[in-house]
Formats: sequence, structure tokens, C-alpha cells
Amino acid sequence: MRLEIGNFQVHNVEFGKTSSYKDGTLTINKEEALAVVMEDEHITDADIVLAKPGDDVRIVPVKEAIEPRFRLSGGPAFPGVTGRIERVGSGKAVALKNCSVLAVGKHWGSFGDGLIDMSGEGAKYSIFSKLNNICLVADTDEEFERNEVQKKNHALRWAAHRLAEYLGSVVKDMVPDSSELFELGPITKRDEKVQGLPSVVFVMQPQSQIEEPGFNDLVYGWDANRMVPTYMHPNEILDGAIIGGSYMCCSSKWSTYDFQNCPTIKSLYNAHGKTINFLGVIMSNLNVSLEQKERAAMFVQQIASNLGADAAIITEEGYGNSDADFIECIRLLEEAGIKTVGMTNECTGRDGLSQPLAALDISADALVSCGNVSTLIELPPMGTVIGELESLMRDGLSGGWADDEKLGPSVKEDGSIIMENNAMFCGDSTLGQSPKTVIEF
Amino acid sequence: MKKGILYLNQFFGQIGGEDKADYEPSIRDGQVGAGLLLNSLLEDAEITHTVICGDNFMGSNEKEAVETILEFLEGKEFDIFFAGPAFQAGRYGNACGVICKAVKEKFGVPVVTSMHQENPGVDMFKKDVYILRGGPSAANMKKDMSKMAEFGNKLLKGERIKGAEVEGYYPRGIRLEIFLEDETPACERAISMLLKKINNEPFVSELPIPELETVPIAPAIKLADAKIALITSGGIVPVDNPDKIQSASATRWGRYSIAGMKRLENAADGAFKTIHAGYDPSAANADPNICLPLDALRVYEEEGKIGSIHDYYYATVGTGTAEGEAARMALEIIEHLKADGVDAVILTST
Repeated sequence: MRLEIGNFQVHNVEFGKTSSYKDGTLTINKEEALAVVMEDEHITDADIVLAKPGDDVRIVPVKEAIEPRFRLSGGPAFPGVTGRIERVGSGKAVALKNCSVLAVGKHWGSFGDGLIDMSGEGAKYSIFSKLNNICLVADTDEEFERNEVQKKNHALRWAAHRLAEYLGSVVKDMVPDSSELFELGPITKRDEKVQGLPSVVFVMQPQSQIEEPGFNDLVYGWDANRMVPTYMHPNEILDGAIIGGSYMCCSSKWSTYDFQNCPTIKSLYNAHGKTINFLGVIMSNLNVSLEQKERAAMFVQQIASNLGADAAIITEEGYGNSDADFIECIRLLEEAGIKTVGMTNECTGRDGLSQPLAALDISADALVSCGNVSTLIELPPMGTVIGELESLMRDGLSGGWADDEKLGPSVKEDGSIIMENNAMFCGDSTLGQSPKTVIEF
Repeated sequence: MKKGILYLNQFFGQIGGEDKADYEPSIRDGQVGAGLLLNSLLEDAEITHTVICGDNFMGSNEKEAVETILEFLEGKEFDIFFAGPAFQAGRYGNACGVICKAVKEKFGVPVVTSMHQENPGVDMFKKDVYILRGGPSAANMKKDMSKMAEFGNKLLKGERIKGAEVEGYYPRGIRLEIFLEDETPACERAISMLLKKINNEPFVSELPIPELETVPIAPAIKLADAKIALITSGGIVPVDNPDKIQSASATRWGRYSIAGMKRLENAADGAFKTIHAGYDPSAANADPNICLPLDALRVYEEEGKIGSIHDYYYATVGTGTAEGEAARMALEIIEHLKADGVDAVILTST
């Protein structure tokens, strides 16, 4: 498959009469953009607010992040989500780089939502602090989940994807600043030199541990809980085949933006033909019951073996219970003679004394650590809050709390906060971006 | 200028050799023997006192030795406490570990010692005190004492400690996240580690698999006489969650009466619900017995399969809950269970 993404660098975002892009400035006609958002009658109230790196701004509760994209070769940017099912990963698309559309609750947060600071100490914890963020701040009539800790956030997440596709369409007739080419041929049709290199698969375990539909990551619009592991071309993942879910503790979560820009896929592409033969992606999932976990791991082992993989990199979108899926996959890959490196975050507790993963096995002898979900983070007040600060302590966000004997509430009267890394928006970047590790003290 | 106190054994405290190993603790003003070296290496601190104790005395009369030394230190101003270096000397290593741990607990000041990796004191005390990696014998005195001084200077200045490997002390079992100075992203580290693994070159895992603590299976009990307690990490609580147990990363647990109840009624009856945020709560909210199986256990009780069900159940939330917190809560709950004469526990998750 051959995918060409034309990139337009966004250095500045502003509102104006016509939605357009010129010399690094993205101009948004707010009325027109909001009309796209309001196509769903369940959105009752919406606004678009801009936040750029360095702003004295805190954003919470953030539910999703998407890079604006448009597919020039036709079809929706997010098949099965913003339009019909159509295979993606080849042809041409355009992207607005250095920016993201954020889905932000006007009032209400949920377990999987996170926080982003645009400057100061807090800005080092999320890659989204470094982007120009186009915040869709909205409320909905989804009363059935208003007071639930776990929310599907369907209307808001879908609206943000529509908005990202609308913004992407602004540059559809323009010549990009630069372009990226992702081309990887069928495995058996590669030249001898490539075939001679160690062959590597990338095993992804997106979050899919809620049995009820509506919470999990979607693969071409299909709930990842309802599938067994399958082979995918890496371009499909870079081109919008998968969108993020609405369940996992936020620092462990993969947003749609993270899938679209998956750093490990890009790194494997760079190494392809030089040091490795990149076979492609085994799209697995994360499960609830032991039998489901074993079945998925068995499929991963079988596919990797029959593709002829010599080695694998595996990553999970979660921690705790899902460590069992992660470790079992590593164990079976190693059992099949496939040398495996795992990427994950840890839960060692606020004092660092707890067992790092819920499941452990000596076969997992090569792990890259992306952070500790329970790190306590204290941050000063920010001048402006986009969304509603109280949500961090009120609505069950995974890293916030209403009260604590020693630490008090997560949100203080002056607007300063204390939270666990758990609620940093996609903070541990276990798809490969994390500049963090965990060491012994 | 800050103040430090140094502990030495009879040999390095210049009392004598093995024949003086029973020497009782004493404290002197200023520096003695190796203390002069340490004092000269400290940047903005001086060694104001030296404590000396024979290795055998500490080994055979630990309680007395520790009490005496802590009394010496009472009322003295000091910002840091050093001991050793102990090299590979087992008794000296033990003494350094014992006294450092006691001083840290009593006075809350940083404590630093140094030992060779073969010294049994390393495994005994590395979780409690900073033990710097040292050489096997006194020939390493200058080197090891310099490391102690260097690390002491950092602690006294309040500099950020960069972890066990960089600072040169034995890992204490504390794992915390850091931002890498060169910000190498995880994917680059993963590919580099993978290539080494493929090529059978040495590599270092960032998360070494720790030794597992396994619990032996307890001897069987006679069910027909047993008092059985129910405990759940599935977050089943009375509807008003009286102990405000958190929905994730819990640090609290609750103890609730089920005396006389045939089953757990749900929230519609103002009774029980789950506050656990890590699983789909609909089934457990409709029927809390799915998570905490009181209804099934009552049948066993009526049939005489079990002796009785304990009048209280215990609950916490097991999502995002660190293993250390879980262990602490378990130890707290166990005290109650023992006091109430509970013979066995059925622990249910989600």
C-alpha cells in the first residue's frame, strides 16, 4: 500500500470570515464549523475555543484529540465513524500538522477524561501541550449517562471527528508544504535485501475491555471487543481506520491523534530496509475474561509465527487487568521463538513501592517503561480554564478525587490542583512518544 | 555550616582490632580516624561528633547499643548521619545498617553508608537506607569515603537525586518516573533494544521483572465448623458510600454489617451498589450478590456446608489501586478478622 499525506504546518489559528489556510495560519469560520458540530441534534450547546502553547490555560475534561485530515482520494477521513466503510491506507490525504481538535466537556467529565496545561510545569506531561488546540467545548442531551462515572461521550467524540474532517477540507485544493510517503509492499513481494533482514511485527493492543458497546476503540467503526486479532497494514492505522475510545484511565489512553501519528509505526518505517523488514501490524485487543485473553494471545502468536516474524514490539493501551493480556502475548511470542520488546507504563504507587505490573513473567525480559500512572502532580492555578475545573474532582476522572485525608480535594479554592498522572491527557504515550521512563530510586 | 555525625567501628575509630570488638558505644567531639577524611571532603558541613562501637557489641547487644547511641544523639544538632564505609565486613555492615535505620527513624535526617555488594548488610538494609556501592576492603577507603561525601553534599544541598544507578547506591525498591534528559521517545528505545535482542547483544530492560512474592497455600480447614467472611475488591458498598471509598486508586476500605440479611438488596431498595469505576457496573448494581455472593453462601450456611457467615463484609475498589496500598489495607482488615475469630475468607473481585 502507498499512502501520501500532504502536510500543512499550522503555526497560528484564528477566527475569520472564511475558513482557510495561508502561510501557516488556519482561519476558522466559527459559524460554519459549529454548523458541522450541530449536525447531531444531541449536541445542545457548543463553542470553539483556541489554545496555543505558552498560553496560561488549563483544559479539562478532555475526552478526545484528533488531527484534522481530509482524504483527497475520496471517502471519509474516519471510515465507519464520519462516513461509510471504505478501506483506507492508500491514495492521498491532507493533514493540518502541529494542531489538534480536542473534544472538551463544557461541564461534565468522565473516568477516561484528562487534563492539559498549555504552559508551566504541567505542560511537560502531555504532548498535546505543544500543539495548537482547537477546543470543541460542548454539552449534550445524553441524560442517561449524565451522572455516570463511565460515559460513552458519543455525541461529543463524533462531533470532534466531523470538525477535524471539516478543518482538513480547508486545504483540499492546496499544495502542501511537504509530504510524507508511507509505502510498504506485500510481504512475499519484497526484494531479497529486505527479505534478508530480521522481520519485525508491531502488535497493538487497543483498549476494548468494556462489554457494552460504545466505550471501546473502534476499528473501521467496529468495536475492538468484538474481534479476534487480525493483520493490518500500518497505513490503515495512520489513515484514520481506528479511533480512540472513552474508557481507559487517561494517561494510558490512545487518542485518535495518537493512532494517526503513531510514533512506533513511523520509527519502524524508518528502520525498514535498513536494519529490519517491517512486516506490518497485528491488531489485537484487550479483554475481560481469562479465556478471551488467552484466545487473543493465541491468535497473535499464530499470525506472527505464520508471517515469519523474527521479532516483535508490543504495546498495550492500559494497565492493571490488561497487563495480563500484555504479558500473556509476550509469553506466547517468546515461546514461538519471536524476540519481543514490550512498551508499557507502570503502576508503582505514589511512593513507588508497588509491583509495577499486575501480571509478570520472566519471559518479559525486554521492556520499555513509559511512566508511572500514580505519580502525584501538583500544579499552580492557570489564568483561564477551558471546560470546567471542578470536573477533575467531581466526575470520577481517574486521576482526580473529591477528598483525601492527607491531600484534600484535587481542586483547591485558588484553582491550584493535585492529581495523579492517571488524569494527564494521553500522558504516557505508550504508542511510542513518551520521553519518560521509570527508574529505581 | 551544616553538621554531620559519623559512626565507625572499633577498628576505624582507632580503639583497636578484633580484641576490642566488644567495645561499648562512645561518642567523641570532632573527628577520629577516617572521619578526618570525610570532614575534609564535605563542602559546607563538618563532622561535629564521632560515634564508635565495637562490631561484636553491636552484634550481640543490638538493642542496648542502639538505645545508648540514640541517647548520645538526643539534643545534638545534626543534618546528616554517616556510617562506615563497611566494605565487605559483615558485622560492620550489619552495624552500619542497624544504626542508620534507627537514626533515620528517630531523627528523620538523611543517612548514608557504603558497602561492597557481597556484604550481607546490603540486602538487609538497602530498602531502608542509602547504601553506596563500595569496594571489598579498606584499600578502597579513600574512594568509598569520597563517594559518601559527594552524595552527602548533594543531600545537604537539597539537589535532585537522579536515581540509584546514577548516584551509585543500591536500588531501594522504589520505582518512580523521570523525564529522560535527551527525551529519547519510547519507540526509539524499543527499536534499539529490539535490535540488540535480535543480534544477541546485551541490553538493559527498563522494567526488570521483580522476584515474585508467593504465598503458600494455607492448610485446609473444616468447612462445617468454619466462620467465613466475604471480602470484595469490586466496590460493593451501602448506597451512600459511608466511608467515601474512591472509585479508582482506592486508599480506603469499609466494614459493613450483613447480619440477618439473606441477600444483598440493590440501590432501588436503598441498600447496596458498586462504586468501582473499572468495570461495567450494570449487572452488579442490579444484583450486588453477583459481586459479593451472600445469597449463595447463605444457602450453604442453611445446608450446613459451612459453619457460619461472618456478620460483616469488607470492601474496597481494585482498579488503579497500587499493590502496596492493597497490601496495607489487607493487613488492616486482617486484624479485625483475627479479632472476630474468622476462619476463612472468600475474596471476590470483578
